[in-house]
Amino acid sequence: MGQPPVAETKADRDWSQVALLSAIVSSSDDAIVGKTPDGEITSWNQGAERIYGYRAQEVIGQPMTLVCPADRVGEIQEILETIKRGERVVHFETERRRKDGTTFPASVTLSPVHDESGRLVGASSIARDITEQLELRNMAALRRRADDLDRANQKLDEFTYSVSHDLRAPLRAMSGFSAALQDEYQEVLGETGRGYAQRIQAAGNQMARLIDDLLQLSRVQRATIHLQPVDLGAEVAQIAADLQRGEPGRSVRFAIQRPVEARADRALIRTVLENLVGNAWKFTGHEADALIEFGTMPAQDAAVGCYVRDNGAGFDPAYADKLFQPFQRLHSASKFPGTGVGLASVRQIVERHGGQVWAQGAVDEGATFSFTLDARNMP
Amino acid sequence: MTNRPILLVEDNPDDEALTLRALRRNKIPNEVTVARDGAEALDILFPGEGAEGMLPGLMLLDLKLPKVDGLEVLRRVRANTRTRIVPIVVLTSSLLEDDVLASYHSGANGYVRKPVNFADFSAAVSALGVFWLQLNEAAPEYVPDYVPTSD
Repeated sequence: MGQPPVAETKADRDWSQVALLSAIVSSSDDAIVGKTPDGEITSWNQGAERIYGYRAQEVIGQPMTLVCPADRVGEIQEILETIKRGERVVHFETERRRKDGTTFPASVTLSPVHDESGRLVGASSIARDITEQLELRNMAALRRRADDLDRANQKLDEFTYSVSHDLRAPLRAMSGFSAALQDEYQEVLGETGRGYAQRIQAAGNQMARLIDDLLQLSRVQRATIHLQPVDLGAEVAQIAADLQRGEPGRSVRFAIQRPVEARADRALIRTVLENLVGNAWKFTGHEADALIEFGTMPAQDAAVGCYVRDNGAGFDPAYADKLFQPFQRLHSASKFPGTGVGLASVRQIVERHGGQVWAQGAVDEGATFSFTLDARNMP
Repeated sequence: MTNRPILLVEDNPDDEALTLRALRRNKIPNEVTVARDGAEALDILFPGEGAEGMLPGLMLLDLKLPKVDGLEVLRRVRANTRTRIVPIVVLTSSLLEDDVLASYHSGANGYVRKPVNFADFSAAVSALGVFWLQLNEAAPEYVPDYVPTSD
């Protein structure tokens, strides 16, 4: 026998409506909190228990400032003023404090609550922990910044190439026409005039080398590194042979340790060795019994430690650090030509291989350039 | 050995003068015609309606040119049956990898970066002239009504 059907009254319907709303509120993931116009907590849903860590019975009757970090208490007062004017506060981003004292980023929406006669009886707030949302937002910002940087680098590449292209044309004219003057107007110019034309030509050629070296430096800074096993000793031997072929008149002894295995980018490490061995070759130019050595040394933590040593002109150790800055030259161009960019490239490449480079020497007592490589420390 | 003329396509008057001087000093005997931009080069090669265009023994082509750029000139020369055989060497300041690649893919026979130092520049121009105009066997001119007599 079933119960006789009972007619549903308006009160019943109202009640079930309230129960439904209450179920929605209590099951929400957001912290839904009711408070008096003065900010005293009157209701506290399960979402609020989860987010703030307080049970309802712990906070009912407490001021809202309980979940506010000390430096933001003033904010609550401002919000309550807004509510008292009957206005809403929508998606206000701030910080809130959990029971354990930790804080989290929160997005808060507050609305005034009025009774049937329109009198302000309190406020309801919906707060959400937006930690993840902020992380996503930060990631998106980082990605945007990386894209911007890529674009900027590409622009810089294009700029570098177009500058080098445009700068070379007038230099070619300087070099070319001063050569023409020297060839075709020798007698008109006289010895002094020919000397001037020669200087113009030499300056043009020097500037062309500077541009090329700067281009190389900028390429080195941005080149992608492809690590592979390289025998540094074999590379040095090749470079030595090339130098000897270029100046067959010079007699230089080489002592090259082989093999010296390293993990490095072949093209870039070749640039390092070309610069160091090339310098040793250049600065032993006035040495009757020139000796250039390449070998390994203990490298502490690094994977590989090497040195290039010569018995040439050396340098004043007071300037050892300056050697690696672009355009720093410790010798006059007339004695040893160069642009002062080579060692700056060397340092860039070595550092990009997770290593360090340093120089030791004394005037007229040769120089030793040492470097380490360590793929594990690559930036 | 060919006595066809050289077509120098160059918009920079300094580079033009230096190239002409280098050719003269290296005793390359071929006549030289200069086009100052890509459009002028195309007019010389393809004058249109009845007129016969030039068939150079060597084209020295700069890439950055006013009006029609060097790559477009290259493509147009290669697309034409008569001029397809012309040796073209790109002579430019750029060492941009894209430019080198695009030049070869558009049909260049060579790519030379103009050296700044005049001695090197002169040596480069001389080497190009000697190889393409004296050592190299030039292709015979294309004859449209030519029918192979096989029987």
